[in-house]
Amino acid sequence: MHSSMKNILALAIYAGEIMLKNGAETYRVEDTIIRICHAYNIPYVESFVTPTGIFVSVDNKNNDTEAFTFIKRIQFRSIDLNKISQVNNFSRKLATSYLSVEEGMNILKSIDTLPKYPRMLKIIGAGFASSFFGLLLGATYNDFFSSFFIALIIYIAVSFVDRLHSNLFIQNFIGGAIAALLAILSVNINLGINIDKIIISSIMILVPGVAITNAIRDYISGELLSGVARSAEAIIVAVSIAVGVGAVMNTWIYIFGGI
Amino acid sequence: MFLQFIFSFLSTLGFAILFNIPKKAIIKASIVGGTGWIAYVYSNEKFHSLIVASFIGACIVAIISEIFARKFKETVTVFIIPGIIPLVPGAGMYYTMLAVIKKDFDKFATIGSETMFVAGGIATAILIVSSITRMIFQSKENKKQKI
Repeated sequence: MHSSMKNILALAIYAGEIMLKNGAETYRVEDTIIRICHAYNIPYVESFVTPTGIFVSVDNKNNDTEAFTFIKRIQFRSIDLNKISQVNNFSRKLATSYLSVEEGMNILKSIDTLPKYPRMLKIIGAGFASSFFGLLLGATYNDFFSSFFIALIIYIAVSFVDRLHSNLFIQNFIGGAIAALLAILSVNINLGINIDKIIISSIMILVPGVAITNAIRDYISGELLSGVARSAEAIIVAVSIAVGVGAVMNTWIYIFGGI
Repeated sequence: MFLQFIFSFLSTLGFAILFNIPKKAIIKASIVGGTGWIAYVYSNEKFHSLIVASFIGACIVAIISEIFARKFKETVTVFIIPGIIPLVPGAGMYYTMLAVIKKDFDKFATIGSETMFVAGGIATAILIVSSITRMIFQSKENKKQKI
């Protein structure tokens, strides 16, 4: 009984870790952990999740066994909605049909190592996302092409910097700076026409839309702490993009006296 | 209008790939994004207010996402996050920053506050829709328990 409760807790924590690492809202993570523990008939579960860590306590309400508490620190977060959806389906499946803890662990492991879309496809996706967003804003077809290529370069650069385990500020600063620099260059070589539309559409892939949406969804569910944490994250990202773009534009104006 | 739908559809598709959403949900999420944008453009023409338009657009995105999520048994986030992206006030943020660089603080105040309100409008739209759907499902469950 002792070891099995520990294993169940490990399973629940692992599920929570996968979700949180890939950008799930905290209330959903708490929900999943509690649902998994209940599926294995643990009577007392309490979980507390913030964007940077998971705390779970379980107890089987016997006087002769001790309660377990686990803490899991989450350091790097990215966005992978596929894994969140898979873990969610897994926890729903647990509630309706019985799975042994080992089987569950194996399923979670296979979810955790699920491949993302190929890198090439993601790069082209970034280009698509930006350039068509530019068209929505009323960019010309010249702007369309330049923002397509700028977004490709930004995505490659940011994912390269990301692999060096840099922080949020540096990543978005570099993204913003590249966007501004290349946009100015492309207008100067007469490829692009509207400099502002090119910059706006190419920084779209960095803009913290997800962080803001998740922050709000956390606020609704009463997760005030993680709501605050995620809004702070969103503000940092927005400010660092602005600093990147602003620094480059200001320097350009200072050196060449105009754009 | 049709061209606008195609553009926003493809833009959302790009973001859907970036966010790694499940393969079978990509097209659906892109439809959500496209429809939200059309609602945004249409209400912008009607009411001449970016804030109202973003609110309505986000409402449409959230409603369709909730329906799709229940119908296709996916998490709501899978549809809402890519769907909301075309509405995010990236342009507003950029012009706010530009105003700061040019030290034009009047413009900074007007555009900045409008951008804040647009973001707030999107947020409240999602908030309202998802709390209402939760309430509806809760009341259904309460009825079931009574029986």
